[in-house]
Amino acid sequence: MAQGLEAQFCNEVNIALRNRDANKLHSILVLEPPFQPIYVQLIASLREHFPAEAEQSEERLQHLVRSTVTETGDSEDEEGRPVQSWGPMVLFLAGWMAFIRDLNIENLLTTYEGLSELQQKANGALQHPTKGILVLPTLIGYAKVFARVAIGLDRRPELIQHLTAATVTDEGRRESLPEKAANVVRNGFITCLNDRNTAPGGIKDGKPDGKKVGVYKMANVCLKILFQADKLESCMTIFHNIMSYSPPIHYYPASERVTYLYYLGRFYFTSTDYFKAQLCLQKAYDDCAVGASCVKQRRIILIYLVTANLMLGRFPTQEIYSRPEANGLKRIFFPITEAIRKGDLESFRRITNLDLSHPSAAWLSDYRLFYQIGNYCEVLVWRSLFRRVFLLTGQQGTSEKSAPTLDLNDVLAAFLYFEKRSYMTPAMAKADSGPGRRHITFVLQDFTPRASYVDPDFDGTDLQPTLLLPDIDEIECICGSLISQGFLNGYISHKSKRFAIQGTRRAGSALKAGFPNVWEVVKQKNLENNKDKVLGWVTEAQSQSGGQVVRLAGARPAGS
Amino acid sequence: MSASAQGSNDTKKAVVDEKAKNGETEKDKKPAAQLEEDDEFEDFPVEDWTEEDTQIPGSTTHLWEESWDDDDTNDDFSEQLKEELKKLGQK
Repeated sequence: MAQGLEAQFCNEVNIALRNRDANKLHSILVLEPPFQPIYVQLIASLREHFPAEAEQSEERLQHLVRSTVTETGDSEDEEGRPVQSWGPMVLFLAGWMAFIRDLNIENLLTTYEGLSELQQKANGALQHPTKGILVLPTLIGYAKVFARVAIGLDRRPELIQHLTAATVTDEGRRESLPEKAANVVRNGFITCLNDRNTAPGGIKDGKPDGKKVGVYKMANVCLKILFQADKLESCMTIFHNIMSYSPPIHYYPASERVTYLYYLGRFYFTSTDYFKAQLCLQKAYDDCAVGASCVKQRRIILIYLVTANLMLGRFPTQEIYSRPEANGLKRIFFPITEAIRKGDLESFRRITNLDLSHPSAAWLSDYRLFYQIGNYCEVLVWRSLFRRVFLLTGQQGTSEKSAPTLDLNDVLAAFLYFEKRSYMTPAMAKADSGPGRRHITFVLQDFTPRASYVDPDFDGTDLQPTLLLPDIDEIECICGSLISQGFLNGYISHKSKRFAIQGTRRAGSALKAGFPNVWEVVKQKNLENNKDKVLGWVTEAQSQSGGQVVRLAGARPAGS
Repeated sequence: MSASAQGSNDTKKAVVDEKAKNGETEKDKKPAAQLEEDDEFEDFPVEDWTEEDTQIPGSTTHLWEESWDDDDTNDDFSEQLKEELKKLGQK
C-alpha cells in the first residue's frame, strides 16, 4: 500500500484544518517518542517510500501533501472572498514527515538541527493571515521541545563548537547556539505580536484575539532559553517588542502572566534595578496559585523577591518564613537581616566573605545572590552601625540651637573593632569578649589580622601586604556616601570629624531625623525617578501607534 | 490515528544519556549540579486559575517589615561595643 499511510495522515490533517481544530492538528503532528504503533508504521513507510537518501523524497512528499491536504490550496471564505493558498503549510507538513522519519534522539546535534528547520517551517505556516493561527498550538508545543534541546546542547560545548564559531552577528559578536534558537522562536513570537487580523487592541470578549493569544507563551519560551543560557542581555529585545505591540498582560492566563513577570523581575534583578524587580516579582508571587503543585515556582519567585526587598530595606516577616515554599529560607536570610538590623559588620563580613567559607555562601552563589547581597546590603549595615554608635556615644545638642552630633572617631573605632574581629576565626572572636572579658586562650594567642593578598608573582619586589582596615578618611567618606544616598540626614564637620544631624525638632527625635527609614527613602527616590514605570509590563491597552510606557501608580502597592 | 501523548521526556533523557556516554559521572559535575534545586522555572501544571486559588487561607498580608531599626543597647552586641568605645575614651 505505497503512500497509503502517508496519504491517510494527510487526510486526517486536512479534516482537522477544515474543522479549524488547531488542537487536533497539534495532537496529530507528534514530535517526540515514544510513538504510538501507527506512527511507527508511518515512519517505516516513509523510510521505505521516501528515503532520506533519495534526492526527490522531499519534493515528492510536498507533492503528496499538496494533493491531499486541499486546505493548503486556494479557497474562499464563508462570504465567498478568496483566501490565498498556504504554500508554507505544505513545506511544514512535508518537513514534519521528514523529521520523524530521520529522528534519532541519540544524536542531540542532528535533532537540534532538524527541530530548528522544522520550527522555521512552522513559523512560515503561522504567517498565513487567516489560517496561520491553526498551527499555533503545534508551534508552541514544538518551541518548548526545541528550547529543551537547545539548552541541553548549550551545556555540551564540545558538540557545538563548530556551529558557534561560524556564526557572527552584525556587530561582530559571536552568537551562541541558544541565542540562535531563541531567535528562531522569536520569529514566531513576532508573528503573534504583529497579527493585524484581530479585533482592535488584540482583545475580543475579554480574551486575546487571533494569534495574539500566543504572545506570552512564545515570549516565555524565548526567555527560558535565554535565561538558561545566561544571555540576559538579549531579553531586552523581547521586552521592547512586548511593550510596543502586546495587549495588556492581565487578559492572559495566570500561568503565562506569572511566568513572564518572573522573568521580567529576574531581568531587572540582574540589572540591579531592585525596585522594578520587586514590583514584577511581587505581582508574580501574588498571582501564583498556592498549593503543592506550584510550590517550586512559588519558591523560586520568593527567593528573588526576598532578596530584592532586602536590598531595598524591607525584611521578610515570620508570615513569609512560615509558608511551605519558604522552607529553609529563614536559615539563609535571617542572619543577614539580623546583621543589617544591628549594624553587626563582623557577622556580615563572615556571611559575605569572598572565600565562600560561610555555610550560606554556596547556596547564595548558586542563585547568584552572593555578590549582590555583599555589595548592596553592606551600605545598610554601615547605616545601622552609625546609628548604633550614635545610640551609645552620640551627643544631644547642648543648647536648643545646636545639633546632635556623632564623633566619627567613635564610628571608626566601631568599624575597626568589627573589621578586625571579622579577620579572626569564629572561635577566636568568641574568646575575645572585649576588654576585661577576654578568655585566657585569647590572651595567649598572638593575634595579627590577615593582610591583604599579594600574588607570588610579586615576590622579590618592595610590595608589602597591607591591612584592609578603614581609617578616619574612609569613615568620613562612608558618612558622605550615606548622606548622599539619603540614609543619613545631616552634614559632616570635616574639621571636628563629626556628623551633625539636621531637622531634629521637626522629626521629634535625633534618631528619626538623622537616620531615616531606609525603605521610605528608597521608595520615594524611585517614585521621583519614575521607576514605577516598568518597561516590558503592559498594564493598559496601547494606542494604535504602539509603544509607550505605562505608569503603574494605580497598581496595588507590592506587599500591601 | 488520533492524539498521541505529546511532549514526553525522551529528549530530556537523551540529553542526560549523552552525558553518561561521554564518561561524565556524578563526580565530574560541578558543585552547581549538586544543588538543592535547579533554578529553572518549570512550566506550570495548569494553565489558568482564579484569584481565589492564589489566596492562602488564614494568612495575613503582612509580608514585609519596613521599620526594623534596633534600639536595644543592652544586648551582648551593644555591651561589647560599649566596652570598646569606652577604651577609646580612656586614651
